[in-house]
Amino acid sequence: MLNRAVWRQSWGDQKLLLSALAALWAVFPWIYIWLQSQVPMGDFQLLLRLIPEDWQKLSGVPIAEVATAAGRIALAFVDPVVILGATVWGVTRGSDIVSGPLERGTMEMVLAAPVRRTAVYATHALATILGAAVLCGILLVGFWTAVAWGPWAGQVAPGRFAPAVGNTFGLMVCMAGVAGLVSAAGSHRSHAIGGMCGFYVLSLLAKLVGRMSDSLSWVGWLSVFGAYEPQRLVAGTADSWWLLARYDAVLVGLGLAAYLVGGVVFARRDLPAPL
Amino acid sequence: MLVVTNRLTKRYGGFTALDACTLAVPPGEIFGLLGPNGAGKTTLLRLLLGYLTPTSGSATVAGHDTAADSLGVRENVAYLPGEARLFRRMNGREVLDFFARLRPTCSRGEAGRVADRLGLDVSRQVARMSTGMRQKLALATVLATEVPLLILDEPTANLDPTARAEVLDLVREANARGQTVIFSSHVLSEVEESCGSVAIMRAGRLVHEQSIADIRRGHRIRARLTAGFAGVPEAFDGHVRVVAQKHDAAGAERLVLEAAESLAPLLGWLATLPLEEVEIEPIGLAAVYDRFHRSGEGSGT
Repeated sequence: MLNRAVWRQSWGDQKLLLSALAALWAVFPWIYIWLQSQVPMGDFQLLLRLIPEDWQKLSGVPIAEVATAAGRIALAFVDPVVILGATVWGVTRGSDIVSGPLERGTMEMVLAAPVRRTAVYATHALATILGAAVLCGILLVGFWTAVAWGPWAGQVAPGRFAPAVGNTFGLMVCMAGVAGLVSAAGSHRSHAIGGMCGFYVLSLLAKLVGRMSDSLSWVGWLSVFGAYEPQRLVAGTADSWWLLARYDAVLVGLGLAAYLVGGVVFARRDLPAPL
Repeated sequence: MLVVTNRLTKRYGGFTALDACTLAVPPGEIFGLLGPNGAGKTTLLRLLLGYLTPTSGSATVAGHDTAADSLGVRENVAYLPGEARLFRRMNGREVLDFFARLRPTCSRGEAGRVADRLGLDVSRQVARMSTGMRQKLALATVLATEVPLLILDEPTANLDPTARAEVLDLVREANARGQTVIFSSHVLSEVEESCGSVAIMRAGRLVHEQSIADIRRGHRIRARLTAGFAGVPEAFDGHVRVVAQKHDAAGAERLVLEAAESLAPLLGWLATLPLEEVEIEPIGLAAVYDRFHRSGEGSGT
């Protein structure tokens, strides 16, 4: 089902992005925790009290939980460095699965060989998912070491952030799968990226609306970010893992389902000549 | 037959890219595919490879149905696209390695030798190669593949004259080793020089098919008549056709005839005609091509 030559080529293609995000995510927890440690806990609690009550809902957890070392560290997972990093990985790799090589003209050279379309597709998808796992592993090591040996050493158990990293992995798989589906149906990678930007913005808006309005709370579940709640997963209890399983069942399930549908679309579609 | 198409048709909405194309290519042939841009050549080739699904009709390559068993087809085919595009981040050597890994019938050693013959520097990164160099690199991977059928879509486009000649030699060598070649080109002289037979396409239709040997046997006769022309005798129906018959400024009749085969049987009849200023020349592929693409003749054939 997988193709070794395509596997090596896929890893070669994602090497640069993987290295850049790995470097960013390796140092980000240290920088983030160090910056947080510059604001004493009492001052931070004062700051939180200034936030209007309605806006406090945006945190997704009771504000008292945010005003702890674990809560403050957990906010790192909704920082743009993590969310955008995860999204950039998913969209960049997912959009490159079909429409990218189709547009560049390399797909027809590869498919001139006796290789199944599904093998090319599955190999690329697996390389993307494995790349996401590697990045999340690096993010976990970053948080683990920064919590264990950083400015707040001894205040929080480093392992508490593992479920949040797992949730980030789910988001990456979801974004990659949906982008893969859009890419499998199109011929221009820019269209897939544009479509995913729209998907990202609408998902974000749906989550905000769902969180801000009690009567429209159901809108939040129309968003993939409804299942991305890393700040709720830092309690360090069995419940955190159970909640992660529920969130990732949605995110990974949606991502894999989108990948699967994309594979069927790709296997059946016409492949136009590159422009 | 190695390649057979039966009323193969591809439509995109109201546009017909290929219309009921019926074709057979025997093993061991170098088969030329001619036609202007948009004639349907590339659509035909992409249908053969299973990149496109036919709207109607069918095709087989080495006995494999192109729509139902494209993998079986591609096990028997090496394909050079019209504009070969390769992985820009790789260098030439890595591209050859990649394709040798991708398909077991592609010999890495042979690909290197072909690249050498084409004068290609394989240490250069693809992104820094000219279009011609990329074409040579793609040709090296295709011509080093031991499969029954090579499909080359404009293989000499973007190449300098020396490389063109080398590519034609390589194609003939592949054919001598038993490989069948389908060769699409706009350069009539190289098709005439290399191919055993040709098919001419126009507006999605296969309008003419003929062996190069037959084309070479044909002659065109241009003459001025001093008296009226009574037409071609029944005995020569199907052998001689009147291509043009008109009066010049002086009022004399000008006649252009084409003889499909040997001139010998016609000479007696020609001697009885009131001809002057007679010119006889081999028809050649260009004249056959022009019949369908320049003069407007052959419409609907």
